[in-house]
Amino acid sequence: MDLAIETNGLTKKYGSLTAVNRLDLRVKRKTIHGFLGPNGAGKTTTIKILVGLLKPNEGTVRVLGQELHGDKTAGFLNSFYEQADSRLSIGYMPELPKFPKHLKGSELLDIYGQMYGMTQQHRNEQIPKLIELVGLKGRENDLIGKYSKGMQQRIGIAQTLLNNPELVILDEPSLGLDPVGMVEVREVVKEIAKEGRTVLVSSHLLFEVEQICTDVTIINRGTALVSDTLQRVSGLIEGPAMLHVEVAKTSDKIVNAVKKLPSVTSVVQTGNTLRIQMKTHEDTRAQVSQEITMSGGIIIGMSQKTSNLEDVFIQLIHKDQGEKPR
Amino acid sequence: MNTRTSTRRRRPSWFIRFWAVVRYEMLWNIRKKKFLGLVIVAFALATLIWVLPIVSSNATDQPIEADPDFAVNFAIPGIGLFLFALITAMNSFSSEFESGTVVPLLTKPVSRTMVFLGKLLAALIIILFTYTILFVYGIIGGTLVYGSQNNLHLVPIGLFGNILSTFLWVAIIIAAGTLSKSTIISALVAFGLFFGLLFAVQIISVLAGPSPILNYVPGSGASGKMMTPQGQIDIGAGTDNIGVNMINYVLYPSANVDFNMTRIELQGNQPLITQVFAYSEPISLITSRSVVTTIVYTIVFLFIAWIAFKWAQILE
Ligand SMILES: Nc1ncnc2c1ncn2[C@@H]1O[C@H](COP(=O)(O)OP(=O)(O)OP(=O)(O)O)[C@@H](O)[C@H]1O
Ligand SMILES: [Mg+2]
Repeated sequence: MDLAIETNGLTKKYGSLTAVNRLDLRVKRKTIHGFLGPNGAGKTTTIKILVGLLKPNEGTVRVLGQELHGDKTAGFLNSFYEQADSRLSIGYMPELPKFPKHLKGSELLDIYGQMYGMTQQHRNEQIPKLIELVGLKGRENDLIGKYSKGMQQRIGIAQTLLNNPELVILDEPSLGLDPVGMVEVREVVKEIAKEGRTVLVSSHLLFEVEQICTDVTIINRGTALVSDTLQRVSGLIEGPAMLHVEVAKTSDKIVNAVKKLPSVTSVVQTGNTLRIQMKTHEDTRAQVSQEITMSGGIIIGMSQKTSNLEDVFIQLIHKDQGEKPR
Repeated sequence: MNTRTSTRRRRPSWFIRFWAVVRYEMLWNIRKKKFLGLVIVAFALATLIWVLPIVSSNATDQPIEADPDFAVNFAIPGIGLFLFALITAMNSFSSEFESGTVVPLLTKPVSRTMVFLGKLLAALIIILFTYTILFVYGIIGGTLVYGSQNNLHLVPIGLFGNILSTFLWVAIIIAAGTLSKSTIISALVAFGLFFGLLFAVQIISVLAGPSPILNYVPGSGASGKMMTPQGQIDIGAGTDNIGVNMINYVLYPSANVDFNMTRIELQGNQPLITQVFAYSEPISLITSRSVVTTIVYTIVFLFIAWIAFKWAQILE
């Protein structure tokens, strides 16, 4: 399996507190990987180790195929290049990022771009696009000290993309944003992932993760409880997905037609509502509606009892707390 | 397992990346209002030096005596060196930690050593720039007030010496800043050290007499008098006076400096204060010792700062 991030037995202690506890995190390339966990689970700590801000107490870290080590083991002079180059293909947005207040938004991107070794011409091409992408157009020449929290988050996202990174790590990108901002950020994250990038995004907003991620890792107290594709994690606890269809008038013809669909397990009819149990979590609404219409039914309403990541999350955390009370 | 994919990039020039750090730091320094403030204060002081004689000569109706050596003896006093160092270096590491800007900075493809050297180079550029203007200003002012000046070609040596002296304090302040990650603590440590050493050296000089040992701590060191064909020149033998001493060495390579001890005797009921010769040292020894001492201190403190920064965990 081609992995963008691989940790083995990663452990980080703050004094007597173990923030990350023998964590094995695997992030496949070209996935949008949600990193979920309650407050204090160790998400930020893990991410800080991945980007070389903290040194783990134990365990190994590989990022984009490169073994990462603290400056300590990198040799005395060696580290001048070594650690820096491993960050060339990584874009990282810290949790509530702080940027120098005395710089203008565009200056910040220009200087950071130069730190990636980008030429002036490359920077001049790239920066206006990024400013446009994160919706800061018109404000790029204001001092960052005058930016609102949401604007700082946006410039934070823009600076992750400067060098067209292979791996983008976002630590709670929508923290502190208004609902419109949150939607916009979600769109940007999807956009980021389009060009074959790998994205690791930490969050405790389950609906956000559900909407953008392909894979999920849920951690609690520094240990991964589950790590898999979103689909499988969502299906972990509840049975198969359900589709509720309200039709103007039911008939046996309709019920039988729906039953014949390969993705359907069973159909229960209550009044004018069909409760259809599906074999998969894939979205089969179009198929079902077509079948019903062709059988002469008129659909009034349809609702899919979609993923239950929230249930999974709560149950997993609950179980974990119960078994190993703090 | 093939871990290095085809998308692996060419390593871009480290010089571009290093220069970005210098640029980052320069902007930080230049837009710091108090730095501009200090430059203004420095100019005000330098102006006073050559305006005061005009004022007093007008008041007393005495013509100003020509002094062809004004420019060559122009130097920033110890407290000035210290303040310049403090303003330039105080925030450069600690406020990165305090404001949290260290997090995005250190996750860019610049190593911590690059960041460290870049900030140092920026401090050097800023100090060089300010001192150059100050010295040029001093020369112009001196020429206007004291008439034409001798040995102007030696002024760059003085400039170099003043920068070296300043960098000792820069190194101490940066070491305090990277170790404490706090601007206030590092400023307090630096102030405490500067004034502590200043007073300690003065007190020891008076009580126990001047001693070459005093020159091995940062500061003004022992003070003595150098005899030259042109007359007596006051000499401070410590690390703050490298600039003037280097020039004096060039001008009077074989001169000696006498260090006197203050003796207080009771004559009847009246205390009698006399200066007694303590020891003598050649200016060559004084100059080379202060240069070596300064360089050693600077390297040691910069090394401490570098290690502290390189191994710092970023908890912010
Ligand atoms: N600098 C620090 N010093 C001491 N303990 C810390 C520090 N930073 C984090 N911790 C502790 O480590 C644990 C994990 O914190 P971390 O910030 O990684 O959690 P998180 O999953 O990112 O939480 P959140 O969702 O609130 O951002 C917490 O118990 C926290 O109190
Ligand atoms: Mg966090």
